[in-house]
Amino acid sequence: MSDIVVQTRDLTKAFGSFVALDGLNIQLKQGHILGFIGPNGAGKTTCIKILVGLSRPTRGSATISGVDCTKDARKIKQLVGYMPDTFGSYDNMRVQEYLDFFGAAYKIPRKNRLKRIDEVLETTGSTYMRDRYVEALSHGMKQRIGIARTLLHDPRVLILDEPANGLDPAARVEMRQILLRLAEMGKTLIVTSHILPELSRICDTVAIITKGKLRAFGSLEQIMRNIRQRRLMELQLLSTADLDKAVGLLRTNLEKDAEIVVARQEATVRISTDADDQTLAELLGFLINSGLAVAQFREVQQDLEDAFLMVTGNDSPATDAPAKPAPRR
Amino acid sequence: MNPIFQRELVGLLRTRKAYAIQAILIGVLTAFVVIRWPDNARADFGGEQAQAVLRLFGYSLLAGLILICPVFPAAAIVREKQDGTLALLIHSPLTPWDIFIGKLFGAAGFAMLLLVLSLPAATACYVMGGVAFVHQILAVYLILLLVALQYATLALCISARTATAVSALRLTYGAILLLAIVPLGPKQFTQGFNDPMVGQVVNTLACVSPIPAMMDVLGQGGIGSQGLINTGPVLQRYSIFAGISILMFTLLTLVKLNARIFDRNRPAGKVTDERSGTVRAYRRIMYLWFFDPQRRSGLIRGWMNPVMIKEFRTQQFGRSHWMMRIFGVCLLLSMGLMLATTRGTLNWGVDTLGGVIVILQTALLVLVAPSLASGVISGERESGGWTLLQMTPLSTFTIVSGKLLSAARTLLLLLLATLPAYGVMLAISPDQAPRILQVLITLILLAVLSLMVSAATSSVFRRSAPATAVSYGILVALCGGTMLFWMGRDAPFPRGLVEQALRLNPLATALSLINTPSFREYSLAPANWYVMGAGIVLSTVVLSVQTWRLARPQ
Repeated sequence: MSDIVVQTRDLTKAFGSFVALDGLNIQLKQGHILGFIGPNGAGKTTCIKILVGLSRPTRGSATISGVDCTKDARKIKQLVGYMPDTFGSYDNMRVQEYLDFFGAAYKIPRKNRLKRIDEVLETTGSTYMRDRYVEALSHGMKQRIGIARTLLHDPRVLILDEPANGLDPAARVEMRQILLRLAEMGKTLIVTSHILPELSRICDTVAIITKGKLRAFGSLEQIMRNIRQRRLMELQLLSTADLDKAVGLLRTNLEKDAEIVVARQEATVRISTDADDQTLAELLGFLINSGLAVAQFREVQQDLEDAFLMVTGNDSPATDAPAKPAPRR
Repeated sequence: MNPIFQRELVGLLRTRKAYAIQAILIGVLTAFVVIRWPDNARADFGGEQAQAVLRLFGYSLLAGLILICPVFPAAAIVREKQDGTLALLIHSPLTPWDIFIGKLFGAAGFAMLLLVLSLPAATACYVMGGVAFVHQILAVYLILLLVALQYATLALCISARTATAVSALRLTYGAILLLAIVPLGPKQFTQGFNDPMVGQVVNTLACVSPIPAMMDVLGQGGIGSQGLINTGPVLQRYSIFAGISILMFTLLTLVKLNARIFDRNRPAGKVTDERSGTVRAYRRIMYLWFFDPQRRSGLIRGWMNPVMIKEFRTQQFGRSHWMMRIFGVCLLLSMGLMLATTRGTLNWGVDTLGGVIVILQTALLVLVAPSLASGVISGERESGGWTLLQMTPLSTFTIVSGKLLSAARTLLLLLLATLPAYGVMLAISPDQAPRILQVLITLILLAVLSLMVSAATSSVFRRSAPATAVSYGILVALCGGTMLFWMGRDAPFPRGLVEQALRLNPLATALSLINTPSFREYSLAPANWYVMGAGIVLSTVVLSVQTWRLARPQ
């Protein structure tokens, strides 16, 4: 049996002439965490709503564990645990009562419910909140209770909309651990977040979507390889006096269209090249033999933020991620 | 100019509802004048037509102000608090006084604008002749101005002390009912008492409400006094009370408008089950175990509707200890009325007692039903709970019925708690049984109508505050608005028209069934039952269509 849990085929949603989602094709395996990123209005929420059965696609299909998300909403509700970006708090209710209500709504038998509530509170590290009033919880506590609520009926897939939004650094670390624990338990997670470094630490798979179109899908490494065929190398010298000599040597030893950018104050040269490891090793030896005092010669690692910015490019005037002038070091 | 005033009033005037209210007001007032405008060359020296128009004009504006005035200021401070913008205002160089004045005149400014819009109609009344400028026209405007300021300051005072806009609205309407209607009760039901002290006290108490002052100014001070006119300086008394209360509400609001408004301890979430054995035993005895507010609740049983239980738990007064308190108060009130009746049957009569109970029950139903039911769907949509509920296997029918059942239970308890008084009436006068049964049918229908209208309104709005305001508006217009025709009976409205209007009114129907003076001559049932039945069906249709729309995948 295939271990593909979530699958969309040509998933399209149009509101009149506006196409919110345009032919989305994704696949997600069991126990994987998908980071679903894109600017505001990119179509993430539309996609999530179709997956949880709250919206019907105009064309295409979406399945979770083989169950059609639009045709069998009842089964989907059992298979999916959904945490929207709003908590859905009820005043004057204690945490246990809150979870008891959702447990009863999911038809968890009364004799098993208390045990289940204990389990989800423990999984999310929230046991101490049991008797607190929901409206009196802090934002981070509410997020944890939100996850506990989605786990109550033991769904196979968890869809979490901005689970780390508004959390302090410590709470973010805790949230990350909770999500990784859930993946270890075999749950498949779809997580949207604006905090891209957080996502990059937990996601196996990334989907970047803009203007309703899937721009990149796969592991972070795959995406980086696909979007940037060239490698970004950085050569740092001990003295700025050798910079011009270094640029001259690089130009004669690299392919013609290699991009060379000089950061004079940092005594650094950045090179965008197609060269393989062997060529680069020979180049380094040549530079050193030519009398250049090389302090560093390394490949600049690129992260999810870089990938996001590269993929979205000028697609959207207002992106969710902070604008960055150049790839980070 | 005060920036808050500018933002509030300009923002309000840009809305469609503000435009609609202004247009409706001008239309209605113009219609009043046109209908009664002299159509022949004969002079009306008595000024009857002008008086009749002025009466309608004054009562309509008063009713409109009472209904509309609290809507905007009740949410004014609490919404800023919820949105986090109150902290910004308090942190700005604006003083509490600036904030208060901006909010007050931003909200009351709209009421003032409505009064200004009514000036042409008032001028037309004056031109028709027979209306005193100072003692009537100016006095009417003085009362209306005081009402606008008094209820706006009251609403702001409550808004500064509540946690949500909906609870602010509920409390404000409750307080207005307490100030405008309840003080009239003792005067109505103690007439004929020989004790001059009692007379003075109830007359003074009645002046807390603006209604006697308006009636006095419009030449109807003796209505309902059963021939014993003892009005006194009603307008002066009301003006003094209104002035003092405006000052008091202003001070109480200003006290709250500082950084301390955010000093709210989070409840510790203690439960009796986790406390020491002694405390546990003490609380279990004192609260009879079941009514302990700090008891850890049992799990929801499989056969129960989980939404209904959730509603009981989340409602302010839905918990068992609060329900028992409310039930107890109603029971005590009912018993008090029984005692008063058995001691003073000769003075009051069964009809009078019946009238008191009917008014009490109607007021409770109209006040409580919207507060329970006008958030059933809008509240869930506002808090984000609607999406969560949709994600559960619960059907839409289970969700809505659970919510309606929880509200119905509370309303039923309120009705049951006042039943003993009817028992006493039956004991005094057994031949009243068919009448009492008819009254109960009317009240049950009113309860269902109030519930369904509020729920239907809730399904139309995205937020609970406007849904609550509109629900109150519909019910108060139904039970109070149609009374304007009764007040203008014989002049300008003929008996037939008054009867037609009262057939819409469940309160008037119940009062006529119980034989209350001034209502007993109208035959309102079963016509009113059919009207209420139609209202229930219509509300159910609206609720069903709306919930179907909201629950289907987009």
